[in-house]
Amino acid sequence: MASGAKYFFLFGSALGIVAVLHAQTTQAQVQTGADSGVVSAGKGNPYRTAATLAPRIVSFDAKPSTDIKAGEMVTLVWLAENPTRTTIDPEIGTVSARGSRQLTPTATTTYTLTVRGAGDTTLTKTVTIRVAGRDAVNVAVSAAPKTIPRTPDGKPDLTGVYGSSFLPAAANRKAEGPSPSTEARGYYGAPAELKPGAEKFRIVRAADDAGPTANCMPLIGPQAFSVPYPFQFVQNARFVVLMHEYPGVFRLIPTDGSPHPVDPDPAWTGDSRGNWEGDTLVVDTVGFNDKTDLSVFNHSEALHMVERFQRTSYDTLHYEVTMEDTNVFQKPWTLSRDFNFRPEITRIDEFVCENNRDYGKLFKK
Amino acid sequence: MGASAVLAVLGKPADAHHSTSMYDMDNPVTVTGTVKKFEWTNPHAFIFLDVKDKDVWEVELMSLNHLRSYGWLRDTVKPGDVISCTGGRARSGVTSMISSLIKLADGREIRS
Repeated sequence: MASGAKYFFLFGSALGIVAVLHAQTTQAQVQTGADSGVVSAGKGNPYRTAATLAPRIVSFDAKPSTDIKAGEMVTLVWLAENPTRTTIDPEIGTVSARGSRQLTPTATTTYTLTVRGAGDTTLTKTVTIRVAGRDAVNVAVSAAPKTIPRTPDGKPDLTGVYGSSFLPAAANRKAEGPSPSTEARGYYGAPAELKPGAEKFRIVRAADDAGPTANCMPLIGPQAFSVPYPFQFVQNARFVVLMHEYPGVFRLIPTDGSPHPVDPDPAWTGDSRGNWEGDTLVVDTVGFNDKTDLSVFNHSEALHMVERFQRTSYDTLHYEVTMEDTNVFQKPWTLSRDFNFRPEITRIDEFVCENNRDYGKLFKK
Repeated sequence: MGASAVLAVLGKPADAHHSTSMYDMDNPVTVTGTVKKFEWTNPHAFIFLDVKDKDVWEVELMSLNHLRSYGWLRDTVKPGDVISCTGGRARSGVTSMISSLIKLADGREIRS
């Protein structure tokens, strides 16, 4: 057995210690060697190594045939591996690594699959759909940036998929303003100010805690958007529906001017009401239970949360959340970040937490 | 070990839906064996790997949305395939790991 050292880590913030991690760590010797089937893979985080894997185009085909008659449909089917970005032109744009798309080209058209990946690699493969009697025509490709779509009533249309935490908060990083939060992963904002006597609301996790998002229970506020799963808006004139792939939770947000119930029963995601301030959707939520976390803080049922969603460009959604809990915070605590629009995902995944693990046995014997 | 624990608490981009602090990400290993079972499920996919007819390794992969973005299909690995998984081994010494890349039966390497 390796040495049973004790580890203490202190994390300082502008206001003091954020977390103390204590671990009585007993690590078994890794048995390696060809005979064991286990060999060392060097040093350093293996996810960084994985990110250098070369992309490949496995297939790009047209089914059932590349030769059709005018008005007939054809389906493009593709598969790429290890891409960072995949596009099909003309007309389709950004797509996922694997997929299919049904088309009815009116003239002979050559479709190009472009796969980008590690080391600035760019791969292409083409498929030409020949439409009988309809020669190819030049398709103008517009270089103009796409504009923010709007609904018939003139509101910005948030409909679509965004996230996840693996993507950079691009605009926020460039903008001058708040510093990266020391208390909420991926967010910008000043540290929270706890009211006197509220230190008990600060969460200190043990070393063998798999983390706040490991148990597939609903998440709110900053944590709901910082898991590595995307989220999706569906919008009409009276409702905005916000669906989180993880852990399969949805929020129905009326935007018809109706108020909160007078005395809402405490709920995991509370009672949300939305209204538009210019191009910003402002969502006011009360009626939370006290079972969720606000990053490194617990909260009470008095929590009041105001979230602001603005599509600042076609590609970017800006998110700002202000958390007010008179039992916990001296003053409202505000965090913000950006999320990328994900046009390659047309719908988030079904998510059923059917195969979660008890990770306790992995920390120590 | 210390560095990975620090990163896990601060939040590291490669984290899964849970932290990876139960795995030793500073000293990665490659485990080679024969696929016994492949569970294509959320919140994470798992491969059960027969290693040297002696141990069964439980190999954790990313969630399905990430695997799809890397080009995975539900039969990218199949029972009987001989594959090599690289990633962090459980700190406790049990035959569990989280894999970041896999060499498939035909030699292709793919993120996991």
